Formats: sequence, C-alpha cells, structure tokens
Amino acid sequence: MWKKSLGLGLTAVLAIGTAACGNSSNNGGASSAPASTAASSSPAASSAAPSKASGDKAVITYWTDDRHDQEYIKSLIDKFNAENSDNIEVELTVLSENYNQSVDIAFSSNKAPDVLRLKSANTETFVKKGYLAPIDEYVTDDMKTKFSSLLLDGVNIFGGKLYSLPNSGQTLRLVYNKDLFDKAGIANPPQSLQEMVDDAKKITAAGKSEGAYGFALNFKNPKSAFDRSMREILSLSGYQGLGYDLKTAQFDFKPYSQVVEYFKQMWEDGSVLPGAETLDIDPMRAQFAAGKIGMYLSFATEPGVYKDQFPTTINWGAALAPTLEGKQVGTSEIVSAGTWLGISDKSKHKDAAWKFMAYMYQDDILTAYHEQGFGISVVPSIAEKAKNPDIPGMEGFLVGEHDSIWPVSPSVTPEGANYADAFFKYMLGGGDVSKIVTDLNTRYNDALAKAVEKGDVKTQPDPSFDPSKLGS
Amino acid sequence: MTRWTRLRENSLLLLPSVILTVALGIYPLIWVLRYMFYDYPGYGAETFVGLDNFRRLLRDAAFWESVRNTFVFAGGKLLITVPLSLLLAVILNGRLRGRHFLRAVFFMPTVISTAVIAVVFYLIFNSYNGMVNQLLMKYHLIGSPFEWLGPKHAMLTVILAAAWGAVGNYMLLFLAGLQSIPHDLYEAASIDGAGPAQRFWRITVPMLGPVMQIIIMLAIIASLKGYESIMVMTEGGPIGKTEVMYLYLYKLLFPVATSGAVVDQQFGYGSAVGFTTAIIVGIITAAYYAMSRKMNKVF
Repeated sequence: MWKKSLGLGLTAVLAIGTAACGNSSNNGGASSAPASTAASSSPAASSAAPSKASGDKAVITYWTDDRHDQEYIKSLIDKFNAENSDNIEVELTVLSENYNQSVDIAFSSNKAPDVLRLKSANTETFVKKGYLAPIDEYVTDDMKTKFSSLLLDGVNIFGGKLYSLPNSGQTLRLVYNKDLFDKAGIANPPQSLQEMVDDAKKITAAGKSEGAYGFALNFKNPKSAFDRSMREILSLSGYQGLGYDLKTAQFDFKPYSQVVEYFKQMWEDGSVLPGAETLDIDPMRAQFAAGKIGMYLSFATEPGVYKDQFPTTINWGAALAPTLEGKQVGTSEIVSAGTWLGISDKSKHKDAAWKFMAYMYQDDILTAYHEQGFGISVVPSIAEKAKNPDIPGMEGFLVGEHDSIWPVSPSVTPEGANYADAFFKYMLGGGDVSKIVTDLNTRYNDALAKAVEKGDVKTQPDPSFDPSKLGS
Repeated sequence: MTRWTRLRENSLLLLPSVILTVALGIYPLIWVLRYMFYDYPGYGAETFVGLDNFRRLLRDAAFWESVRNTFVFAGGKLLITVPLSLLLAVILNGRLRGRHFLRAVFFMPTVISTAVIAVVFYLIFNSYNGMVNQLLMKYHLIGSPFEWLGPKHAMLTVILAAAWGAVGNYMLLFLAGLQSIPHDLYEAASIDGAGPAQRFWRITVPMLGPVMQIIIMLAIIASLKGYESIMVMTEGGPIGKTEVMYLYLYKLLFPVATSGAVVDQQFGYGSAVGFTTAIIVGIITAAYYAMSRKMNKVF
C-alpha cells in the first residue's frame, strides 16, 4: 500500500513538474507548485501542551483544519489531558491548508493521526481510501438515541457502518447590506429571484457612483460560488441543490439552468461587482465589509468573518435565500452537518481515541460549541436547550423551520467541465442553454452509471420524495 | 591509481545523483507510463482501460483549448521577453552610469516568488480596486472599471505578469553572452566606419547566436510549462480563457474540493494528459532546435 501511495505521489509531481523534458530553473524564478503544495502540507500550527509524564500513557494525535475554534478545542484537550483517568494524552495539530493532501501523505507514510476532523466533503473519500475505522462497537445506546435523526447513509454511514457523529452544521443564507438596501429604497431582502435581479439593479443604480454594486460572488472558482448560492436557492425551491434528482436518481440540470438565467440577467444588467470573475471568497468579503456589495449568498461562517477577519461598520443581515417562484417549496439544506470526529483505521489506540471522541461529544461541550458561535448545532437535544450565540449577524443563520438536512446526492467526476464551469461560461458568453443542460445530464449520468457499476456509489430512486416534507 | 580504483571512486561519486534520478525521475515516470492505461482515483481498484484515457483526451475540448491557450501564452511571453531582455542587456552592457544598480533592479523579479509576483499583479490590475483602474478613473480616462482580468483581456494581463517575472533572468543570460564577445571586433568595426546599428546587427547578433539559441529554447520550454502565476491570478479563468495545459493537468491531479462535493483525483487520465503535454513540449522544443541550427553557424 505504501509503495502504491509513494508511487502515486511521485507520479502526480512528475506528471506536472518533470514530464516536459526540460528544466524549469530558467523560468524567471518560477517554482513548481506541486512541490510547494507538498511542502505546505506539513503540519503547521499548534499543539496542546502535554501534561503528564510518559509511562504506559496512550498518546493520541488529533488533526483538524478548523482554525476558527482552535483556542476552544485546545482548552478542551488540555482539560481532558489533565483530568482523564485512563492515562491518555491528546496532541492537537491544526493544519493551515491542504488538509486532505496532508492526510493522504500521513497515511501513505504510516504517520496517520488517531483522530481526524471529518467534513461532508472528505468523509466518503476517506472511507473509500480505508482511512477510517467504524465506530459502531463503541457507540452507546444513549448516543444512538441522541443522534438518531442525524445518522444517514452516505453522510456518516457507509456500507452499513457508522464512521462519525454530527455536531454542528452550516446553514446558508442571503447576506445583504441593509444600508445599501435602504439607500436604494428597498424595504426587505428579496423573496424571489426576479426580486433579487430587480433589487440588484436598483442598488447598482443608487450606489455605482460610489463603487457599490448590487450583487457579487466569488466567481474565480465558479463551483465554490455556485455551491454556496445555487444550492440553497434550489433546495428552498424544492430541488436538490447539486443537480441531482432524488425522485429519479439521475442528474437533471434543468432546474439549475433556470436559476442560472437570473444570475446571467444580473451580469448583463451590470449589477454584479466588476471583476467578480476574479474574486476569491475573502477578497469578496473584504469588498462586502467595505460596503461595495449589496448582497451575496454564503455559509453561517460569515458572522465570525465580519467579527474577527474583516470587522465592519456596515449594517448587514442574513435572510433565507430567494426562490424561483418566491415561495419556499422545499427547505434550505443544512450542509456539512453529519460528521465531526472520526477514528483512524490505522490507530493503535482506537479505544483511547474513542474515549477522547466520547468526551468531545458530551452535551456541555457541544452546547458551548454552539453558544460560542463556532458552529450551529444540528443535534436536536443540544439545539433545544442551547442559548443563541452572541455574534452580530448570527441570528439570521440560526436553524429554523425552513432548514433541514437533505438526503445525500452521489459524488461523481464527469468527463470535461463540471456544471459550475459550464453554466458560468454560459453566464458570461451565452450559448444554447438547453444544449448545455443536455450535455451536462449526459456526462454526469454516464459518470454516475460508471460509479454505480464500479460499486463506488449506490443510487435508489425515490418517486415519492417530497421536498416539502423534509424536516417535518 | 588503478583503473579499477578509479572506476569505483567515480561510481561512488555518481551514486547519489543516480539514486535521486532513479527515485525521483525514473521511478515515477514508470508509474506515469503505467497509470495512463488505467482508471484510478487514488483508492479502490485500478481498472485497466487500455487506450480509453487517450480517446477521452482526443474528445476533451477543454484540454485542446488549454493547448491553444498555452501557445498564445507562450508566444506572447516570448515576443515580449526575448527582445526586451536582449535590449536591456545591450543597454546595460554599455557604459551607462548606474548600470550595476540597474542590472540588480531588473534581475530582482527573478528572485521573487512567482506567486508573489502574481499577487502583486492581481492587486495592480483587478477590476474592483486595482491601482491601474483607480488611476485611470481618477484622471477620468475611463468612466467605469476596465476588466483587465475579464474574459477579453485576462490573457494579455497574465502574459505581462509572466514576462515581467522572466525578463531579468534572460537579460542576465544575454549579458553573460555579450560580455564574452571580444571587444576588438567592435573596435575594428568602428575604425571601418560601422555605426551602432551596424555593430549590433553585424557583430552582436551573430556572435550571440549560440547563446541566443539556448536562451530561446529555455524560454520556449519555460513558457510552455509556466502556469504558476496564472493559477494565482485567475485559476485559469474567467471561463477557461487563461487555462494552460499544465494548469489543466494540475487540476486533474490536485482537484479542489468545495463544500459541495468530493472531487476525485484522476491519476489515470492525469497521467495520459501529463504524457501528452510532455510530448507536445518535446516536439516543439525539438522542432525549434532543428530549425535554429543555423544560429550556431552564423560566423
């Protein structure tokens, strides 16, 4: 296995860096990015201080890429190290970036952490790669009851085995600048996409002379931009947000294309911040904090961003995303909600790792995690009793009657451009949208069929699926 | 020293290089050559797919567009870099006051990280608060922000950034070539009444031929392989307008996972693309070398 992993790593680097027969030292100082990727993937940051002398001590490592909560997590680990009676010591490593690649390298070099931070975007891959150990044998009946409504196939259960438990999730909302809305004479955030287009136009007309525009997203990476915007608009409109039709278990990008038309209209109206096609998420947030953007859509991380990263004096708020028809036919999808911690399959201290994990999933810790605003709790028993986090803007992101977790959609890698790149090209360059939809449907369903055939993905049509029943 | 001892010593001295070449060059190359016939996302079963990856490559419009973009990028960068670095080298090879300082100034971008150069150019040229647009708007030369990094002009902007980072390096190489030209030739030509232009075209250019041949070849390879500044400035966008083939390859091997879904690494297809791009760069380099043989024999 390690030989294969080593080979793969070197293959990737070679394919980019050296396959082209020449040397790169003459490139005006251009250095190879893959090499820097590998270099920057070494664990950075901080470790919680060891507190006991070694002996029969079980030292376990916990890796996370969450930076926003690291002080809180560190304090929890210090407390665990000081107070646990099983002679377990946890060492925390907070990775700065390239988390998934760091984990790959750690597993291929037999230096895998014992406990890993899991997110919906990486759990399935980690399971497929054999990194994670099932936790079924450890989970108590009380825990099963506590998390029962959140244990989902394809989210935290794979192949009938449980790999993680939920803590917090991310809601997504329309984030809007109330000052710019007031200036443009708009009383409320838009309910429908047509209203959003109209509002963006009004805000631009009122603010363009001062550099303020109606709408923006981080279109430098269209997939990141669409997955934080279209996804919510679609799920609230009654459609799965990544182009998957849960009724037929096939991809169908027709509803997606309907939302794209409104985005395209805003672009053509000149209502989108100039240069949005080159914006990463943080530069875009900086522009919003500077009062240059009327509205955008994003995750519940935004209040923390405007509290610490880009402190702002603008008056802003968050509201449910607009929908196709102005009515909430479905529910707003809570994302990244089913997982938090997992245990390495390679860990020599699985029992100790579980004791640490069980400690982290205690009610008081999960409650404090929510109340301090590190994440919005999706665990019903916690969400019921926890106080709301005291962070400006967070009130708009709290889980409400229109939020729910959606059934998982399969992840496939199609040939050619992904849906976001294809639709963004249409937004900027035009074309025949029906042909684009047909092409996407064909390529995604071909990839889905192959994944099913290989056994990587399981699909099950649900003709009775009713988005209005989710969360009820 | 016996022949046997010399051989053993030489072998020992060569050993580190051989080990590194085999471990970091030959061994992964074998994996590339193997994986291009497989479908493999980095986990699970490796599926032998024969020539499927190459069939996919032939119908992959995005890849061929990236090849076209690579030629535009490389051509544009070469057209700016080579003449400009030669001009600077000739000027700074003269008796200009402060030439040592100016050489250092022009060489400076070479020692700066490509990523930093790209970030600086992004800050200068971005549409929403870039310095260029702010200046142009301040003096009312434009009414609204100009899209330097928009679909129409992004390629030109990334070429400028890449050229700025590379000019100093080639200037230095040209300067080394110029300083190897015997001064007697210029003196003799001056006595014979040759002016500066004649001296440049009749002495400098021919005498630089062999050096220029190598410099242009290095510049071609670097331009065809360059993608780092583009990755930082535009990530290949907008809508693929600056996607060059090595950036396309990079994304196949190191895909970005967004919050929405996992994106599998495509080692099989990536290897096929890596092999093909290497062949493309190799053919162009070889063709240039064959066509430029005359540069070696101009005097």
